[in-house]
Amino acid sequence: MKKSSMYLRMITASLARRKSRMLVALLAVTVGSTILAGLVMVYYDMPRQMGEQFLAYGANMIFVPSSDSDGMTSEEIEQAASEIDGSVEGVISYCYESATINDAPIVIAGCDLNATLETSPYWQIDGALPQAEGEILVGLNQADFFSLQVGDTVPVSYIPADVKAAVEGENLNGDVEGKVLKEFTVSGILDTGSTEEDYFFISEEDMAGLTGETLTYDVTELRVNADADALAASVERIEQAVPGVTPQLVKRITESQTTVLSKLSALVLLVTIITLALTMICVATTMTAVVTERRREIGLRKALGASDKSIMLEFMGEGLMLGLIGGLLGSVLGFGFAYLVSTNVFNSTITFLPALVPVTVLAALAVTALACVMPVRNATKVDPALVLKGE
Amino acid sequence: MFFRMIKGVLLRQKGKMAMIAFTIALGASLATAMLAVMFDVGDKVNQELKTYGANITVVAKEASVVDSLYEVDGASSIPTSYLKEADVANVKKIFWAFNIVDFAPLLQTSASINGTDAVLVGTWFGHHLSLDTGEELDAGIVSMRSWWSVEDGAWLDETKEGDVDRVMVGAALAQTLGVKAGDTVKLSCGKKSGEYEVAGVFSAGGDEDNQVFAPLSLVQGLSGEKGLITSIEVSALTTPDNELSRQAAKDPSKLTVAQYETWYCTAYVSSICYQLQEAIPDAVAKAVRQVAESEGAILDKTQLLMILITILALIGSALGISNLITASVMERSQEIGLLKAIGAHDRAISGLLLAELIIVAILGGAVGFGVGYGFAQVIGYTVFSSSINLSPMVIPLVVTLVILVTLAGSIPAIRTVLRLDPAEVLHGR
Repeated sequence: MKKSSMYLRMITASLARRKSRMLVALLAVTVGSTILAGLVMVYYDMPRQMGEQFLAYGANMIFVPSSDSDGMTSEEIEQAASEIDGSVEGVISYCYESATINDAPIVIAGCDLNATLETSPYWQIDGALPQAEGEILVGLNQADFFSLQVGDTVPVSYIPADVKAAVEGENLNGDVEGKVLKEFTVSGILDTGSTEEDYFFISEEDMAGLTGETLTYDVTELRVNADADALAASVERIEQAVPGVTPQLVKRITESQTTVLSKLSALVLLVTIITLALTMICVATTMTAVVTERRREIGLRKALGASDKSIMLEFMGEGLMLGLIGGLLGSVLGFGFAYLVSTNVFNSTITFLPALVPVTVLAALAVTALACVMPVRNATKVDPALVLKGE
Repeated sequence: MFFRMIKGVLLRQKGKMAMIAFTIALGASLATAMLAVMFDVGDKVNQELKTYGANITVVAKEASVVDSLYEVDGASSIPTSYLKEADVANVKKIFWAFNIVDFAPLLQTSASINGTDAVLVGTWFGHHLSLDTGEELDAGIVSMRSWWSVEDGAWLDETKEGDVDRVMVGAALAQTLGVKAGDTVKLSCGKKSGEYEVAGVFSAGGDEDNQVFAPLSLVQGLSGEKGLITSIEVSALTTPDNELSRQAAKDPSKLTVAQYETWYCTAYVSSICYQLQEAIPDAVAKAVRQVAESEGAILDKTQLLMILITILALIGSALGISNLITASVMERSQEIGLLKAIGAHDRAISGLLLAELIIVAILGGAVGFGVGYGFAQVIGYTVFSSSINLSPMVIPLVVTLVILVTLAGSIPAIRTVLRLDPAEVLHGR
C-alpha cells in the first residue's frame, strides 16, 4: 500500500514538475485520440447520414394494386407500410383519373400534396402547392399546351365510369348527362423534367368531390431509409401479408444508392485508416522524443541503484497516465468533431458511441506505452557513467 | 563557420534529425494525400453518381405534350414529333462536350411482340461514332441503365456480329410471353414485321420491364421512321446549381453580359441544356430534376465532409510536427546554454536552430510529398478505380503548411530556451 502510494506520488510529481514537456506529450496524445474517435464516429455514422441524403432521389419503393384489384384502399396501404423494416420517411398515394378540359383529354392525379415535399423534394414549383379547395397544380407541359398561368381558372369535366359505360360508343364530347364540371384555380406550375409535367394535381378532397366516390389509389410512393437487403425483405413480407398490394423496389434508386454509398464508405474508411496510422506514428515519435530527453535522469537513477524494472515501471506509469488523460480528452473532442460534421454537413445530430471511449483510451495507452518502452530500454542498457557524462 | 556548425549538427545528431525529418514527412504526406483527395473528390463522386442515369433529356420542340399521357387514355392518334438521328452527334460538339459522359438516342413506338402489344424502344448499344472533329467514341444506353440486371443472356453490343438483329426483352414481358434468351420472337409494327432473336432478358424494376429494347436501325426499319428519333438521353457531369444558374434557367436573356459569360462557361445543368438546344435544331433540352438536384445535394455534402476531415487531418499533422519540434528544441537546452555561456548572441543561436530545422523540414517535406501522392493514388485506385489528379493548389499549400508549422513549432520553444539562465541549464536545473 505504502509502496504503491509512493509510486503514484513519483509519477504525478514528475508530470507536474516537467509541465511544458508533459504538456507537449499530452497534446500529442490528445490530438491522436481526437482523430481516432472523431473519424471512427464519422465513419460509423456516415452510411445512415448519407443514406438520408440519397433519399433526395425520391421514392425507392412503390406499391401498386395487385393484378386482380382496381385500386388500393388507404387501410391496405397503411397495413403494408407497417410491414416495412426501416424508417419510412415519406408516403404518398396517387389516384389517377382521366378527365377533360374543353374536350381535350387530361390526366388528373389526386394526392396529399403536402406529402410531395417529403417524397419528391426535387419538384420545382412556380407558384405554390394547392392549399385551399378548388386549387390545381399543373405540369409544365400541360401549362404550355393549355397556355395556363398561375391564377388562371380551368374548367375540368369528369365523366364517372358508370356514365361512360352507359353511353359507350357514343360521342363523349359536348353535353353528356352525369358529367361533372368544376372550375379550378391554378396555384402553381410544376417543373420536374420528367413525366409528372404531363399531369394535373389536385388534393384528395377535391378528387373525391370530382368523382363522388371514396378514393382508391393506383400507386403509392414510399421513401424508406434502409439498406438494400432490408428493402428486399420488406417487399417479401408485404407480398405475404397484404394480398391487395404489390410492392416493388425502384431499382434505379436502390441499386445506384448501394453502389455510390459503398464507394463513399470505402473512401472515408481508407482516409480514416491512413490518417490514423500517420497520426499514431506522430504521437509515438513525440513521446519518444520526450522520453529520450531524460536519459541523464535514467542514468542517475541507475547509478543510485534503481533496477531496470523499476525505472521501466515508472516511465510506463507516466506514459500510461498521459495516455489515459489524452484518450479521455480525445474521446470528448472527437465527439465534438463528429458532431460538427453532422450538424454542418448533414444538418442532423449524432449519437455518442459510448463503446468508442474505451477503444480510444486503449489505443492511446497502447501507443504511449509502445513509445515509452523503446527509448527507456535503450537508456537503461547504456552504462550509467557514460549517460551521465553526456553521450 | 555557420555552415560547418549546421553540417556538424546534421551529421552528429543523425538519429534525432532523422526522427524530426520522419515526423515532418509523415505530416506532409498526410496533408498531401488529404488535400489531393479533397480537391478531386467532387469529380470522382460525380462520375459515380452517373449510375443514376441521364440527367438531361432532349426532345423535339413540338413534343411538349408527350404521348405517354395519351396512352393512359387509350388513344394514340396524336402525331409524335421527331428529332433527326444525324443531329445526335452534335451533343459531343457543345462547349461542355468534355463533360458529356454518355448519350443515346431513343425511338419509342408501339409494336406487338408475339401478338402482345408492347412498347418497342430503339436505341444505341455501344454505337461507334466518328465525329468530323476526328474524335472516335462509343455511345449507348448501357452505362445509363447501370441498375438493369440482365437475368438471362447478355447485353446487346452493336460492335458484335449479328447483334444488330437481336432484341432485349423486359423481365415482366418475357415472363408473360414465356420467352428467354436465344428464343426467336416475332415483332410487328404496322404492316411490317420480322423475326428476331432475344439476346437478353433484363430486370429494370420499373415500366421498362414491360418493354422491348432493340438497336435503333432495327426499330427504324420496322416502323418506317428512317433517320428519326423521339428523344436523346444525355448523362453529363454538372456543377451543383446556385442562385445564378436558377435565374439563368428561367430566362438567360435577362442576365448581364458578365453573368451570362460566367453561366455559359460553367457546367451548370441549365447551361448544358441551353448549349444542347443551340446544337440540335428544334430541340428542347430539359434537366431531369430528380437526378440533377439530388446529384447536386450529394456532391455538396461529400465535398463538405471531405473538407472537414481534411481540416482535422491537417490540424493533426500540424500539431504532430510542431509538437515534436518543440520537444526536440527543448531537449537541446544544454547545448543552447553552452552556446550562450561562451558568448553567442540570441540571434545567432535562433538563426542556427531555424536553419537546421528548415533544412530538415524541406528534406522531410519533399519525401512526405512523394509518399502522400502515393497514398492519394492508393485511395483513388482502391475506391474509384482511377487515378487522383493532383490539383496545382496542393503543392504550394503543403509547402506553406510545412514551413509555417516548423516555424510555429520552433520559435516559441527557442524563445523559452533562450530565456533560461545558462548557468542553471548547464547545471541540469
